[in-house]
Amino acid sequence: MVKKIKSSMNHVVLLAYLAVILFPFLFVLFSSVKANNVEIASNPFGLPTEFKFSNYADAWVNAKISTYFLNSLYIAVVASVATILIASMASFAITRMRFNKLSPWLFQLILIGILIPGNALLLPIYNLMRQFNFLDTHWALLVPYTANSIPFTIVILTAFMRSLPTEIEEAAVVDGLRAHSIFVKIIMPLTVPALVTVFIVNFLGNWNEFLLANYFLSEDSLKTLPVGMVGFRDAYNINYAQMSAGIVYSVVPVMVIYAILQEKIIEGLTAGGVKG
Amino acid sequence: MNKALRKPVTYILFLLPTLFLFTLFFIYPVINATYYSFTSWNGISNVVKFTGLANYSRAMNDPNFWIAVKNNGLFILFSVFIQVPIIILFSLLIANVKKLKGLYKTAVFAPSVMSTAVIGILWGFIYEPDIGLMNNFLGLFGIDKIYWLSDRSWAMISILITNGWQWTGFYIVMVLAAIISIPKELDEAAMIDGATGWQRARKITVPLIMPIISVVIMLSVAGAMKAADIVLVMTKGGPSGATDVMATYMLKHSIKSFKYGFGNSIAVLIFIFTLIITVLYQLLVAKRTERIEY
Amino acid sequence: MKKSLVMLLSLLFIASTVLAACSSKQETTSPQAGNDKPAEEKVEPFEMKMRHIEIGDSNKNRFGRLEAVVKNTEAENPGLTIKLDGVESEVNRKDKLRSEMAAGNPPDIFDAFGSPDVGVFAKEGLVLDLTPILEEMGLKDKFVSLTPWTHDGKIYGLPKGGSIEGYFYNKKYFAEKGLELPKTLAEMEQIAEKIKADGKVPIAQASKDAWVPLMTTNNLWAYYAGAEFTNGFKTGESKWDDPRMVEAVTKHQDWVKKGYFKKGELGLEYNNQRNQLLTDEAIMMYDGSWAYSALTDEKTAGADTKDKFGFFLMPPLKEGEGTSSMVDTNNGYAFSAKAAEDPRKLAAIKSFIKNFFNEDVQLQSFKEDGMLPSMKIEDSKMKEVAEHPLMQEILARMNEVKYTWPAFDALVQAEVNTELGTGIQQVIEGVKEPKAMLEAMQKVQEQVNEETDAAQ
Repeated sequence: MVKKIKSSMNHVVLLAYLAVILFPFLFVLFSSVKANNVEIASNPFGLPTEFKFSNYADAWVNAKISTYFLNSLYIAVVASVATILIASMASFAITRMRFNKLSPWLFQLILIGILIPGNALLLPIYNLMRQFNFLDTHWALLVPYTANSIPFTIVILTAFMRSLPTEIEEAAVVDGLRAHSIFVKIIMPLTVPALVTVFIVNFLGNWNEFLLANYFLSEDSLKTLPVGMVGFRDAYNINYAQMSAGIVYSVVPVMVIYAILQEKIIEGLTAGGVKG
Repeated sequence: MNKALRKPVTYILFLLPTLFLFTLFFIYPVINATYYSFTSWNGISNVVKFTGLANYSRAMNDPNFWIAVKNNGLFILFSVFIQVPIIILFSLLIANVKKLKGLYKTAVFAPSVMSTAVIGILWGFIYEPDIGLMNNFLGLFGIDKIYWLSDRSWAMISILITNGWQWTGFYIVMVLAAIISIPKELDEAAMIDGATGWQRARKITVPLIMPIISVVIMLSVAGAMKAADIVLVMTKGGPSGATDVMATYMLKHSIKSFKYGFGNSIAVLIFIFTLIITVLYQLLVAKRTERIEY
Repeated sequence: MKKSLVMLLSLLFIASTVLAACSSKQETTSPQAGNDKPAEEKVEPFEMKMRHIEIGDSNKNRFGRLEAVVKNTEAENPGLTIKLDGVESEVNRKDKLRSEMAAGNPPDIFDAFGSPDVGVFAKEGLVLDLTPILEEMGLKDKFVSLTPWTHDGKIYGLPKGGSIEGYFYNKKYFAEKGLELPKTLAEMEQIAEKIKADGKVPIAQASKDAWVPLMTTNNLWAYYAGAEFTNGFKTGESKWDDPRMVEAVTKHQDWVKKGYFKKGELGLEYNNQRNQLLTDEAIMMYDGSWAYSALTDEKTAGADTKDKFGFFLMPPLKEGEGTSSMVDTNNGYAFSAKAAEDPRKLAAIKSFIKNFFNEDVQLQSFKEDGMLPSMKIEDSKMKEVAEHPLMQEILARMNEVKYTWPAFDALVQAEVNTELGTGIQQVIEGVKEPKAMLEAMQKVQEQVNEETDAAQ
């Protein structure tokens, strides 16, 4: 009985928290079907007087979502997966391989990477992309996106890998497994919750990235979603209704991917028990 | 015995891609920025004139720069002392409920999915003094109108609230992943011993997720030091520079007026300040709470 | 389960990498495929890059006009393909164009701001000097103002359009309350008092971006200190702490103190001042003529805007002194100096100029977007295309302007602009008095002037 009350208390607190953080989304949902800026600005959180679903169709066309959406999806997925592969290899080497002198230094070096302010570094990166002839190809986003999230990913993954007991791979070594097998067969599967989380986080960053996407790509057919979104709000004018519809287009897919990943994979794995 | 994990070639191969990209995208730009920070380069010209430490002393002597530094400090304090406890609290709550877990985990993440530019417009409506959500809500309790974004005593807090709204869920998701990785047996054993939920959380869960909490703190600090977008979209550093942080100060006083060298010196300062804080943090706090075994 | 996930991820990655490789391959093979074309077309194809900022729904008319011009230019220059690259205005101005300039490799034709940007690029020899071309084409005297584009006596670019600034007002409200358009600043204040007494916000203003209130301040000081006064800051002839400047800024602050603007407007985004006017919260709004489309477009303004809004200029201090307004021509197109080394590209640039900067395009811009011409165009022709009553009114007011001047930010250095931005917000906020703010401004101005002198 006491337990029940306690757990329902938890739910009360959590639901209250959700209500607070999700309330602003009502603005987005309501605005996306409102008729014009006047209706939105005079009562931003009020219910729409009539539902204008054509905003979604207009936003779809105006932001060229049909083209940009696939580009975004493809770039965000590839870059995030590439980051994870590269970063997990490095994290494995740093945390699980026995190079106790060098590893801490490498880790500190990479840690410094998350401290670097991005804004000042654009010009050198532009020059790199130009020299590699990457400008105006998807490589101009894939490579920087992959590289930019590496330090963050390594910091997270090393934190997870460190918490795994050392006995695990010692047993594997005794079984005669080589380093790469230990990495692929033992450590990676055990880190899946972290990998999925980091994937989501990186995917999200890439999905919303605006500056480089605008900067490095000229060809319209290559551009990504955030570039299309800017069409609703330039310096002189904002179309709130279509902007809101655009937000729905850009937020929903990420939420769906996240929901699926966390439901099916993280929960599935842990529910199946850790048998190693 | 574990020879497989001592092979230098394997070690290097595993690290090579990271080091390659890291050198290109982090080390090279930083060296580049440091170099130009000692010049008066305008970002375009062929002529690059060395000015020594002039850019640095210019920043150090500008009271506006120190306002920005102070605001970065507020950012850090808010992140570490308000946001992090909330993150831990709600992570534990979510980890401990059985029903609706999926909903909670998905929903808390939602604010982080929105792009910052859009968040600026959205929260503009929330903080609107007359018809905004915030004042309407506070009005229910008879609280007078607050001019959130235009009153300098509230503007910074407004930004911090929005920033917290945007990123708390993001960190909760990370901490949750750590909690999930904890072997169930530990928790179950404690449960059999009759430990209450809070005791288990305090004695088992929190110590085990300490490394990731430490990472969350570090990321918050780094994020707070680099913050620019959220300030730009919320207040543009206003009213009259009261909410400028170092990164927006850099944009305002260098990019706009073709002072690439000066801008780079601010970037280098942000980097150095962050480095100092992180080193201090690691020396003073992290060493005591986490035992890193290499 | 676990294994399959790792497999899945790796597969996904490999598949995508292959895809990426393929897609980039396509791009590298596509140009220079002219070999199997019929031999009689001996024209060597060539490509020019053009940077524009006409992206998104609100710029679709502008983009349409640009595309038409590009097509004509291509038709006139056999072999030419113009590759259009649309970039968001701020990213182009602050990042992309600058990087390209730094690399010595700007697009052949690019959208830019005359002052200070193009001035800086021109100093490095990166921008084509249009002076001889304009003379050759007889265009030199056809523009309303080329001041922002003229550096050291040479013209480096051409403005796309022009704009003036003044008050948009709620015509219906004025009619209902029997208010008449003000002929002096004092009358303007009386009107504001009446509106305030009625419980409405007299003037919509949203000052998160400092340039928004500065439009008003700039107009005030043009009245108090004179239309030419701003020219003198750079040279040291005019002083920011001149008593007339103090008067002008004090007037703006007075209006804030008297409650002519919405309280808390310092935290509001530019777009919000349109909202204030559109939702009848405020009755007047000082804005550029570019606000026309936001106030008439059904998607933003709603359906009943036909006769709702009118336009008048800020009235002078004394009746009959003549109105004074900013005329902005700072945004337009400039051309790469490098491109002009290729005679075919130079020819293409000339035909682009001919096709873009002419009466037809200017009139079309006016008709479709309410964009005022940057070229001198006969009144009667303008009247013919002005359909919307608001546009007719803007046009009528424009013709009454006695004094015109470029916006201050085209006449002072960027640092001074930044400082003034902070300064005006301090004055609005009430943390600094106009005199103290202007004295600080003068110090900055002197310092910047010294630095510019030293650099030259």
